[in-house]
Amino acid sequence: MSLLPRWARMLVYILTFVAAAIAAFPLIWMLASALKSNGQIINPHSSLIPQHFEWRNIVNAWNAAPFGRFFINTAIFSVVTTVGQIATGLLAGYAFAMFDFPGRRVLFYLVLSGLMIPFTVVLVPVVQILADVHWLNTYQGLIVPNLASALGAFLFRQFFMGVPEEIGNAGRVDGASEWQIFLRIYRPLAQPMVAAFAIIAFLQNWSNFLFPLVVTTSQSLMMVSQGLTIFQANINRIQYNLLMAGSLIAVLPILVVALVAQRKIVNGLTLGAVR
Amino acid sequence: MRVASRAGREARRRGGRYTSRPVGQKGWRVAYPFVAPVLVLTVIFSILPLVLVFRRSLYVGNVFGTNLHFDGLFNYRQVFANGGGHALLVTLIYTVGFVVVTMAVGLAIALLLDVSLRGTGWTRALFIIPVVVPPVATAFIWYTFFQPNTGLFNRILTPLGLPQVTLSGPKIAMAAIISFGAWQFVGEVVILYLGGLKTLPGELLEAATVDGAGALARFFRIRWPLLRRNTALISVVATLNGLQAFTQIYVLTQGGPNGWTQTVLYYIFQEGFGLGAGGSTGQADAMAVILFGISVLVALAQLALVGRAVRQES
Repeated sequence: MSLLPRWARMLVYILTFVAAAIAAFPLIWMLASALKSNGQIINPHSSLIPQHFEWRNIVNAWNAAPFGRFFINTAIFSVVTTVGQIATGLLAGYAFAMFDFPGRRVLFYLVLSGLMIPFTVVLVPVVQILADVHWLNTYQGLIVPNLASALGAFLFRQFFMGVPEEIGNAGRVDGASEWQIFLRIYRPLAQPMVAAFAIIAFLQNWSNFLFPLVVTTSQSLMMVSQGLTIFQANINRIQYNLLMAGSLIAVLPILVVALVAQRKIVNGLTLGAVR
Repeated sequence: MRVASRAGREARRRGGRYTSRPVGQKGWRVAYPFVAPVLVLTVIFSILPLVLVFRRSLYVGNVFGTNLHFDGLFNYRQVFANGGGHALLVTLIYTVGFVVVTMAVGLAIALLLDVSLRGTGWTRALFIIPVVVPPVATAFIWYTFFQPNTGLFNRILTPLGLPQVTLSGPKIAMAAIISFGAWQFVGEVVILYLGGLKTLPGELLEAATVDGAGALARFFRIRWPLLRRNTALISVVATLNGLQAFTQIYVLTQGGPNGWTQTVLYYIFQEGFGLGAGGSTGQADAMAVILFGISVLVALAQLALVGRAVRQES
């Protein structure tokens, strides 16, 4: 904006870059620590920049725990859960917006109230329900309780409320079933909304820590986040460089996604606040 | 009659025509399969467990959770006898600190980015990264920051002859989990405030500048009052987020030292999964009911705020 005098613009530049530097510093520290020798890290007088770049740390961290397995588990969990959340949310949102049926209002408020109940409030009984059906330490135990996203149902309902219901009538005249009309006509219309919801749901599922922590104890089912705590297990002999290298491994893929899909993420984060 | 009037309202909203819905009251056979998945999952994994939490918070059993019998508010008394009040206090300190710091810094950064100076746009990505990368990984960065001797702060403080800061100090531990929460979440606040700032009428600010209003006056007289609705909504979002803080507590302090970072949620986690002092899930259930009450109050505040904002706009 040309409203500001020159000195004020300088000040804005300086403050912006200071804020950006503070935001970036922890990540730079992680990168630097990940490439140092542990000797350099525990020497308080050493420089903050690695003296020798120990690229082997990354390999060693990767081999310190079955990280390949953890990544596969995390990918399975986040992809299946996200796809499920989109599917269940689209279906319910569409029906609540387009159909009239007995109990429509009551059922919608029931779903919304699910949104109001924080997952952490029901965490202990949910885990006990899973234990009762022997779903602890299983993929279905991890995935199924997360398949319904009340936020998704709410957002897709809002979206379909704004879509004219006459669009589907051509299909009805031709004798198409309501499922065909939904799948062929309305679902494609929701594609931009699906994309915004998908990216934010995927990132949240990928980062989910508390739920997998209480549902799985077996290492073969652990996710990346949980796997990182292995480096902290022996508190007296923590190898800080490997800890940071492991964190780097966990952060990098998501960092790439974040930079590529920045605009979609901004849209998604804005949506999430509608709650 | 009510149904007809509702249909009329919706028809007006849909563009003035009074159309019937494609699937009417008899169409439940068509509609129910669409809503069934979300409905069944919501009932099994949200509503039923909530009922269970309420019910079990009033029952007491043995250590194996069997032989349950009704004992009124016993679990609640146990919660407060075993540090529950302290957990509420810790939650209050954390949430207030987190919300105030995150919103103040977030608004300041949003105002800076809203100036849209050439060459500053890329910094927005930097503020978003901590929001989306796995918080366990970044919480470990904070863990190394606060290590004795070798951590970031002690590298600076020790040569100056100042006392060490470590996570075994209650105030430092609280500062660590608040500062991590703020660093992690501030990008979300920046985005939400930027969205609000974009909707402000530019002519008003230009007119004020022509009239000689300085930057501070423009902020306090024009932007801040116009952003009141955004501020209210963002504060609710931040408060709910603050109540859910878990990861950095697990990584940095495990609720310590001596319970000084044991929030309500961490209390539920420890008691509910056999890591706590009380050793009974009854106390976790009672505390979960308390957390539910707090969340409902915050959500009701949100509904009231949104309702008022909608009324003001229409």
